[in-house]
Amino acid sequence: MNGSRREFLQQQAMGVGSLALAWLLQQENASAKLKKISAQSEVFDLKPKAPHHPPKAKAMISLFQHGGPSHMDLTDPKPELSRFDGTDYKEDIAYSFVNEASKKLMGTRWKFAKHGECGTEFSELLPHTASIADDICLIRSMHTGANGHEVSIRYFHGGIPGVLGRAHFASWLLYGLGSETENLPAYMVLTDPGGHPVDGINNWSSGFMPALYQGTVVRPKEPRILNLQPPAHLQGRPQQQGLDFLQTLNRRHAKRFPGENDLEARIASYELAARMQTSAHEALDVSKETRATHEMYGLNDEETREYGTRCLIARRLVERGVRFVQLFLAGQPWDNHSNLGKTLPSACRKTDKPAAALVKDLKQRGMLDEVLVHWGGEIGRLPVTQNQGAPEKHGRDHNGQGFSIWLAGGGIKPGMVHGATDDFGHRAIENIVTPNDYQATLMHLFGLQWDKLVFNHAGREEVITAGRNAKVVTGILS
Amino acid sequence: MFLQTMMLRPSQKTLVVIFCLHVSFHCHSVFADGLTYEQHIRPIFRAHCFDCHGATEDLEGELDLRQVRLMKRGGVSGPVIELKEPGSSLLLTRIQDGEMPPGEVKVSAEEIEVIRQWIQQGAPTARPEAADIGMGLGVTPEERAHWAYQPIQQNLVIPDTVMSLDKSRFRNSIDLLVQWRIQETGRGKILDQADRPTLIKRAYFDLLGLPPAPEQITEWVNDSREDWYEHLLTALLSTPAYGERWGRHWLDVAGYADSEGYTNKDVERPWAWKYRDWVIRSLNDDKPFDEFITEQLAGDELAGPLEGDLSEKQIELLTATGYLRMAADGTGSGANDDAARNQVMTDTLKIVGTSLFGLSVQCAQCHDHRYDPIPQSDYYALRAVFEPALDWKAWKTPSARRVSLYTAEDRSRAAEIEAQAKKVADQKAATLAEYMKQALDTELAKYEEPLRTELRVAYQTSAKDRTPQQHQKLKAHPSVNITPGNLYQYIPDSKPKLATFDEEIKKIRATKPAEQFIRALVEPANHVPETRLFHRGDSAQPRQAVGPGSLTVLSADGKRPEFSMDDTSLPSTGRRLAFARWLTSQDNPLLAKVIANRIWMHHFGQGLVATPADFGKLGTQPGDARLLDWLAKEFVDGGWSLKRLHHLIMSSAVYRQRVGLEDSVFHERRLRRLEAETIRDRMLAASGSLDQTLYGPPLKIKEDDTGQVIVEGEQFRRSLYIQTRRSRPVGMLQTFDAPVMETNCEVRPSSTVATQSLVLLNGKFILDQAGKLADRVSREPAKPTEAQLGLTVELENRKPMWQYGYGWYDQSVKPTTTFQRLQHWTGSQWQAGNELPDSELGYTLLRATGGHPGSGRNAVIRRWTSPATGFVTIEGLLSHPSENGDGVRGRIVSGTGGILRGEWVVHHSSTPTLVERFAVSAGETIDFITDCREGTNTDSYDWKTTIVLARQGGDEQTIVSEKCFRGPMQSATHLTGQVIRAWELAYGRQPADDELVLAAEFLKQQMELLESSADHLKEGRSVVEQAMRTLCHSLFASNEFLYVE
Repeated sequence: MNGSRREFLQQQAMGVGSLALAWLLQQENASAKLKKISAQSEVFDLKPKAPHHPPKAKAMISLFQHGGPSHMDLTDPKPELSRFDGTDYKEDIAYSFVNEASKKLMGTRWKFAKHGECGTEFSELLPHTASIADDICLIRSMHTGANGHEVSIRYFHGGIPGVLGRAHFASWLLYGLGSETENLPAYMVLTDPGGHPVDGINNWSSGFMPALYQGTVVRPKEPRILNLQPPAHLQGRPQQQGLDFLQTLNRRHAKRFPGENDLEARIASYELAARMQTSAHEALDVSKETRATHEMYGLNDEETREYGTRCLIARRLVERGVRFVQLFLAGQPWDNHSNLGKTLPSACRKTDKPAAALVKDLKQRGMLDEVLVHWGGEIGRLPVTQNQGAPEKHGRDHNGQGFSIWLAGGGIKPGMVHGATDDFGHRAIENIVTPNDYQATLMHLFGLQWDKLVFNHAGREEVITAGRNAKVVTGILS
Repeated sequence: MFLQTMMLRPSQKTLVVIFCLHVSFHCHSVFADGLTYEQHIRPIFRAHCFDCHGATEDLEGELDLRQVRLMKRGGVSGPVIELKEPGSSLLLTRIQDGEMPPGEVKVSAEEIEVIRQWIQQGAPTARPEAADIGMGLGVTPEERAHWAYQPIQQNLVIPDTVMSLDKSRFRNSIDLLVQWRIQETGRGKILDQADRPTLIKRAYFDLLGLPPAPEQITEWVNDSREDWYEHLLTALLSTPAYGERWGRHWLDVAGYADSEGYTNKDVERPWAWKYRDWVIRSLNDDKPFDEFITEQLAGDELAGPLEGDLSEKQIELLTATGYLRMAADGTGSGANDDAARNQVMTDTLKIVGTSLFGLSVQCAQCHDHRYDPIPQSDYYALRAVFEPALDWKAWKTPSARRVSLYTAEDRSRAAEIEAQAKKVADQKAATLAEYMKQALDTELAKYEEPLRTELRVAYQTSAKDRTPQQHQKLKAHPSVNITPGNLYQYIPDSKPKLATFDEEIKKIRATKPAEQFIRALVEPANHVPETRLFHRGDSAQPRQAVGPGSLTVLSADGKRPEFSMDDTSLPSTGRRLAFARWLTSQDNPLLAKVIANRIWMHHFGQGLVATPADFGKLGTQPGDARLLDWLAKEFVDGGWSLKRLHHLIMSSAVYRQRVGLEDSVFHERRLRRLEAETIRDRMLAASGSLDQTLYGPPLKIKEDDTGQVIVEGEQFRRSLYIQTRRSRPVGMLQTFDAPVMETNCEVRPSSTVATQSLVLLNGKFILDQAGKLADRVSREPAKPTEAQLGLTVELENRKPMWQYGYGWYDQSVKPTTTFQRLQHWTGSQWQAGNELPDSELGYTLLRATGGHPGSGRNAVIRRWTSPATGFVTIEGLLSHPSENGDGVRGRIVSGTGGILRGEWVVHHSSTPTLVERFAVSAGETIDFITDCREGTNTDSYDWKTTIVLARQGGDEQTIVSEKCFRGPMQSATHLTGQVIRAWELAYGRQPADDELVLAAEFLKQQMELLESSADHLKEGRSVVEQAMRTLCHSLFASNEFLYVE
């Protein structure tokens, strides 16, 4: 391929619609053999890159549900479990909390019903998610094989269970595809006002990749982005003049070191910072959204306002070209070891309506075709009782053998259920999907072949799945 | 140390260079021939199979994959290799079918292909297999052949092709070795030397982490000695800041933190700083590095019996062991359980492994290392070295481990003082008892007998011995229930009286000698716990006992280096001392290489081995293994002197090269971004705020109102003294990649992200420091040359946009305006002098919205100077509110030619003062002149004006007179000198001509903006001050400031 032409296209890309760019680059790619995208030298940037094949998805919003939502109480009805409620489970179980472990099966106490034309069953705890049944693909056969939170979270984000220091899935997207906005960070993280999720800042680390690919945290309260604005008297022209002067000095300095990418990158990063000052403020401001939108996301209700605001911000960010947005919850509200009857409905009330609203809103704006939405935790829960004394205090322990997540948009087949767990919801037994399969599939939707997107790190060729077995789950593609 | 030593025996050509023999797993080529079990298959099995089939006694399916003969014998399913029908070998089919290994990690297609071809070739081995291999995986010759485990090469012979080159380009042996490598690879070259100022700055930042002061640069640049550079290095190496700079590097790998971590509380670790100071002192003393290491590993075992007062030497040795107390430790803050205790050991071993072995030893905790030949039993042998001091079964929490520095004298003095305090406490108790009795008597006097006595008895009976009746009585008469707490309600005077005793006690106790501690690891005497290998790293599954030892792969005879279980000549087991002695001995090929590599890394930005904590199979190959060996040997031969090694490396032509971008080779000098601490320190140094006090407790940190962690208050010591809380990293430092200490930091990344730009544009610290730099340059401007002044004429001659004065407009044939500035600013108005009325000028004054003219020809004049050529339109409202007097006259006059643009008279009235659009040129003045007319009393007036300036071909600007009204402008003189000084302090050089022009242009632009818009000027600051701040800010945020050549 002609280098200068490609460069030209990439430069133009910032102004031209990204679809046009993707198309143009595909034309060029079509004649070239499928090859590895890999760092030829140490130049890292966020310029748009050609994907391996035409993409379906352009951006993604991940609503990460820390702790392990109880699938048999929410998304995976198990009549057999209810039938044998209170009896001993026959199979082996790996527990995390052995001291409170029991083998007593515990049926759900909530009612399930079919929803939508597709007839997917949801529990009464998720009325809003049930209302988008025809728009989502529910995967009931997730499997990490490990019960620990961090172990499975890192598996989802980094590709290997439990291993720290790997690049987040979103970092791979940025590395492979670049950014479609030059005014905002391409990978943004919306944290919970209650604090960081389990595993803290590792959740948005770019690991062995340069920090260019790491998530930028949007704080849950003002200032939403730290150091975004100078003191009032410097705002506007005084700072603009100073920045112009600074950049003049920088460009003069860079001339002495032609080809020193770091200097160019820092000049560009100042420009991004300056643009962010205006665009981030605008993007994060939901006050201009209509009353109907506020209502839809639950901004008028104390219980849903906070999460709803973040879901709405997430939509505004992808609308402005952000590639990947991930919402986190403080601690792990879905980790219902005890008091399932109270803690589970509370987690649902906070998230159900805003999550469903996000899908509906994207759909009504015609964005759902290109924006992937992910809802799910790192594990699920066991079919047996975790004994915490009185029956009302009972809960469920961790289960990495089988659990549910859902995906929507961006080339995912809507209105379907994929895979199944056994009669008790303990193990995924049909069409098992691992986090590596999840990664491979999502990358496929983004136009990337997961095992061909290679990052050279310390003499090794890294891929998202670290050479572990993975497959594109073709059954869920539209 | 230089060339001489290298030019050994040029005739001898028997050079043996060990190149790496390792085969990459990611090798995609197909092997035609020559596959062997040991070299090609075993690494695959190590990564995927040995856990169940060889590493331990429990063989799954009775299948042992450690030898080919054992594979042929097979397990319960029979032989796994079928030479006659290779394709049907179970070994292959089970893997191909994905049945093996179980779990999600599968053997890659390339690896399967290697296995297939190997079986096809007859499953050859490199050598006949031993009949008895005992337990465990052992270490094969192939594994031992990895470059890192080789002894340091002792004799290098530079080939003639290098020796015959013109040697004037070379400065020492490093250059010869690099040139040799260049010839071999055909890549790169040694570039010319950088210029002198660059070398000076480079050396300062490298060795001290601080910029040279402008005067220091001048001094070294003008040094006429031929060996000026040697003198520079010697001078810098003897500066105390050297220890701080290189101490920080060591503290990174040692995992230094001022908090305990592990639990969410992350409590403070109050005495860690003494270890930090020990590191700084040791480096400044150039303590031989083998001793430096030995003291950290076994200072307590070297210290002798700890009886009576600790000697200075003992304190030093014990402080050194702080190294082994750097790991996060939650056992004193809510997590004193088996897991937390073992985690301390795990982290300590990780620190030891990565800092001293340069290997990921920690990966062998749960199973044999997947890639490097480190059996799990080696890991536990290492653990056994530390077990007696860090025994999880006889654990001590951090506070129980600290060592008090109290001397016997301190102790007896403290006891004496406590006895004094006790006396006062006794007095207090007696007084209290007296008061209580008094209160009770008074209270009981209110009751008749026998109730009175009954209540007294009930009261005086202790609560648990009271009868129900007594309880009942007291309940019925609550006021009898007098306690020390409510005593004051009965006798109000008792409270202050008793408080005086407390005060006194406090005062007495404050005179005790302050008790200091050190954070040390002291092994208890006669404590010889057993170390057991933990199956799968789980302390609940202990297996066989393991004695103290080191890594098998590092011994020449293939046997694990072992240490005595208990050295009877010492009260402790002596294991750590023995380990340290072995580690620093010739028997260990790794330590000197690992350290030499780190030193090179800090000088060049990247190590010869780019993975300084992983010299194993997954690490990178050395850019030049020979050079690394040579440096290691020089280091050891030079008595493990770090300073000598710095001197050696920095003297090379390779180090002294100019920055090059021609090739990506290990010996290239690249532009390097300063580390987080150095950025902060450089700003402090430039602004003149840097406090260079050495040592001591860390600087406190706090969260600001946005939740960012910052240094508390005005503490301007070097950044390495800032408290390092694991859970509360200082925002600015973390943004620039300072480590957040989880365990330790093996190598720092250098990132470029927008958050850094935001910190540099808007962060409070940089803004404050830029302000201080601006203040500094105004105090100490440089003396510009005539040529420089020639470039900034416009700036130097620039008049403020607004001037406030008095004078007279003479509207004769050739109109002129006299103008003299009013001299006194009251804080809200300009007037002639301190007194009002002034003896000469009477009530002549100007306020924001108006003023008062003087008598006669002393009109007041507000003078505006146009910053640009264009058109102006003037609007305004002139008012004279009073009925008295005869009012005032306002006139607007433009240009030196004195064109009258308008004239208005007001008396107890108001009038608009509109002047239609007219042309102005840059620098032209417009005067707003108000005079008293005939009568000189009651002439206060208001005149608000708005100038709309339409710049030629530019924007329109609205300037409101009252908003721009302010007190004295700092004199704009010496601005050129200030700019030059700012350049000197920030960059260590004078501005180039074009930069000076740019800066002058920028200052003019800023001042003009600030003068015409009140919103942009911070209260109490002059226009010049603020413009200069912004200029200084830009310098601090610029790449030249952030990068060093």
